[in-house]
Amino acid sequence: MDKITLKISRSGGKRVSYEVKYRKGMTVLDALTEVREKQDSSLGYRHSCRMGICGSCGMTIEGLPMLACQTQVSTLNKETINIEPLHNMDVIRDLVVDIIPFFDLHRSVRPYLIRNNVNERDHSDREFKVLTEEAERFLQFDYCIMCGLCYAACPTVALDPFYTGPQAVAQAYRYMADPRDEGWEKRIDLLDTSHGVWRCHMAGACSSVCPKDVDPAKALQLARMEVLKKRVLRKRGKEGSGLVPPPVAGVAKEGVKPPPFDFGGAEK
Amino acid sequence: MKRDRRFKAGIISSLNPIGFNLERWSYTVHRVTGVILVGYLMAHIFETFQLGAGSTAWANTMAALHSLGPLELVGLWIVAGSALYHGGNGIRLVLNEAFGRFMGKPILPVYPYSPTSLGKNQKIAVWTITGLVLALWVWAGVYLLAGVGVI
Amino acid sequence: MVETIDHDVVIVGSGLAGLRAAVEILSRWGDSGKTLGVLSKLALMRSHSVAAEGGTAAVLYPEDGDSLELHAWDTIKGSDFLADQDSVWKFVSLCPVEIRQMERWGTPWSRREDGRIAQRPFGGHSFDRATFAQDKVGFFEMRSLYDKLQEHHNWTRYDETFVTSIVVQDGAFRGFIGIKLKAGALVYFRAKAGIIATGGAGQLWKFTATSVSTTGDGIGLAYRAGLPIEDMEFMQFHPTGLIPTGILITEGARGEGGYLVNSKGERFMQKYAPSKMELAPRDVVSRSMMKEINEGRGFTDEDSGLSYLQLDLRHLGREKIDTKLPFIKELSMKFIGVDPAEEPIRIKPTAHYTMGGIRVDGNGRVLDGGGRFVKGLWSAGESACVSIHGANRLGSNSTAECLVYGRIVGEDVTAYLDSEPKTLPPSDSSVVSAEEDRVFRDLFRREESSADVYSVKARLRDIMDKSVYVFRDETGLSDAVRQVRALKDEFRGVRVTDGGNVFNYNLQDVLEVGIMLELAEVVAQGALNRRESRGGHARTDYPKRDDTGWLKHTLALRTPDGPAFSYSPVAITMWKPVERKY
Repeated sequence: MDKITLKISRSGGKRVSYEVKYRKGMTVLDALTEVREKQDSSLGYRHSCRMGICGSCGMTIEGLPMLACQTQVSTLNKETINIEPLHNMDVIRDLVVDIIPFFDLHRSVRPYLIRNNVNERDHSDREFKVLTEEAERFLQFDYCIMCGLCYAACPTVALDPFYTGPQAVAQAYRYMADPRDEGWEKRIDLLDTSHGVWRCHMAGACSSVCPKDVDPAKALQLARMEVLKKRVLRKRGKEGSGLVPPPVAGVAKEGVKPPPFDFGGAEK
Repeated sequence: MKRDRRFKAGIISSLNPIGFNLERWSYTVHRVTGVILVGYLMAHIFETFQLGAGSTAWANTMAALHSLGPLELVGLWIVAGSALYHGGNGIRLVLNEAFGRFMGKPILPVYPYSPTSLGKNQKIAVWTITGLVLALWVWAGVYLLAGVGVI
Repeated sequence: MVETIDHDVVIVGSGLAGLRAAVEILSRWGDSGKTLGVLSKLALMRSHSVAAEGGTAAVLYPEDGDSLELHAWDTIKGSDFLADQDSVWKFVSLCPVEIRQMERWGTPWSRREDGRIAQRPFGGHSFDRATFAQDKVGFFEMRSLYDKLQEHHNWTRYDETFVTSIVVQDGAFRGFIGIKLKAGALVYFRAKAGIIATGGAGQLWKFTATSVSTTGDGIGLAYRAGLPIEDMEFMQFHPTGLIPTGILITEGARGEGGYLVNSKGERFMQKYAPSKMELAPRDVVSRSMMKEINEGRGFTDEDSGLSYLQLDLRHLGREKIDTKLPFIKELSMKFIGVDPAEEPIRIKPTAHYTMGGIRVDGNGRVLDGGGRFVKGLWSAGESACVSIHGANRLGSNSTAECLVYGRIVGEDVTAYLDSEPKTLPPSDSSVVSAEEDRVFRDLFRREESSADVYSVKARLRDIMDKSVYVFRDETGLSDAVRQVRALKDEFRGVRVTDGGNVFNYNLQDVLEVGIMLELAEVVAQGALNRRESRGGHARTDYPKRDDTGWLKHTLALRTPDGPAFSYSPVAITMWKPVERKY
């Protein structure tokens, strides 16, 4: 195909069509940039990294939420592409939506490492001991780029504006499963609310649209199991990982030596 | 600033599974069958409640129901299917949500991505339940038709 | 009427350095009642720091043979001896502290078998000291810092606020003037202290690894405010950027054992850096690659017309790629359809890191033309030039620099605020209304555009790609200077064509391109003046390094006729310059 048409839902209820010449390897973001630079400079959309890691360019393409920078036009395989702003969020202008409520929901689940002894976390000189198998229990959920696609795909978000959302619960679980974290009990109380984990009905749309395979549906069900473990089985939170032991003194190996100082030494 | 809520939300967009994954379709059917069952429950309570008003009142209600003819059978069949699906899928959901079955374990994602919670185990579970439910539903249809002497 | 917002500290830029400084300041304040504002022209997690891939260097295991002296020596030699050596020492001493602190805040560093943090080899380092988190180091560090920031409450986030000018009066910092894109209105952020952490200027080049947002705003605005910018001609071209977009393929791929091959199938680095091979510093590798391409041993891509070489990872095996290099597998398959375990990846040197920036001292304090501290203004990260990277930065030193200098600046700012009772600077309405005229006069001018901002931007980037690339020469550079000046004149006729108020990206583009043109002139003219080759600045007509004439930092000050250049000495406190061989 040598021409594609973008049908974009713009502010004020209009659907405007733009024709763009197709080149091999073109992404939807490339097409939108062509439109803005050559045809209509008032088209509003977000973009930054163009490599699928910043999460700015989420929009609804052909009815599904996707990242525009990594959606190849050839994969869509259509002559006319329908583009709408991300669902479930207020539209500010054209394809720009209000994501601040999404960030606020993330903040509400206390998504940071909590230790009972804050000095261990903030004023120590060694690291926590974490084995690779322990890290794998939460690492998948740490891949989240906060793009908002899961939030746009979730059917419960469409009905309940106060629902915590798949991204926030997945991040709460990421910290609950982190062996270093000791805030398990606090987060259970944050999740076990009428707008918390219980609103999820395992539609799985969040996982199917996630561009980084964070699998929030899995995190949600695992979080739900944690809540049940506390409420039903009366389980207690356990201690987080300890610090690694200090290095054994006096066994320094011989390494590569830099050349001797020309001026007597470095300032200590 | 006037908020543009055209894409915001609503029951239609929540129930619309077009383009999404299999589990979202089953979510829609689960919701719709749930509503049907609630409706049936209310109708059934109403009908049984008529007994309190005397046996003639109840007999009149039942006669009104039977006067619908084939529609009564179709309605009962739909309710039977709804109960089967809602119950069967409900069992799968309980296994998913409270016991973490069919979800897979946290893994390190490798491109091309395929979330384990929507992976092979989940799909097998969904299709097994659906297959079982469909088989029983057909049998329920046969049973209903045999009950009125058609078969 | 321009709104005024007051804070104790305002940080512009929410990348690694900006967020680290914010966390440091908020941790030290506790509940003292002071407030912090974090401004970003994107949303807070969208900064380009998330794209950093390779690693963060630190001497974590001196007991295994590493040492601070060795890290300092690697950094100084890698910088082609243009780094200020006292600052380098301060930097390497704090790196291990930072890595361990980030770990305790939740960063999932990859581990060894015994549960300690793992490290891997990296270009230019004599010891395996690049700490890595698979191959998305910048992303995980940003996540940890952003998450840690959510713990504090006395800060306000100003997403999508584009800073249009820095107010510096009487040698002191007064505030920032910015546009809130959501409302389309100017806001004056008054603060007792300000930190600029806006990142580099990679978007000056068309073939670049950086985000669309990396237009050098902080550096350009400081330049416009009359502050000197340092060493702008030194731009790092990272050897492995994907064809045709320039997206980065991390150096960690070579650290894990990848090969660079030319069209004859040979590992050409044998000829240029026989001992380090592919792990030589980036400027050496980029120059070697461009030499191979210029001498005809490269491939040509039919669709884009770009020449390229190959990065071969097939011998690493699928498992190693999946566990240690998953992100580049994703990038390579998504954007060029190549599975690195089956085929080599197509790459070419891409504009990556700005060694230059705003002139700061060893504590991150911004210095003016006379070397005095501009009271209340700091800068950290890529936008600052301390300089610890000199003429070339070693891989994995930048994420380390952002963390270390974020911390140092955070400490210095809190000490500054505690040391004397500070009142907010007096509100100078004339400056603000002048700025409002300048910005919104562009918006509401009635005449037709005589130039299109996007065409100016595209031509600027093509010029930089052609003449101010890895290899430069007199004709190319003077041509570039001439063309950039012509574009600056043409730019005066550009008008904002989008008349809307809310989220007017066209206005932001016009403001950005204005800054880019000024910076491009500084880069091209500085490169033309410097008649030697050093680090990232390689001239074919002056191929040798000239320590007698050119062992000095370039400073550029803005004048109405263009940049005025002066030079300042390099602090040599540990090692004298020697020949740089790998």
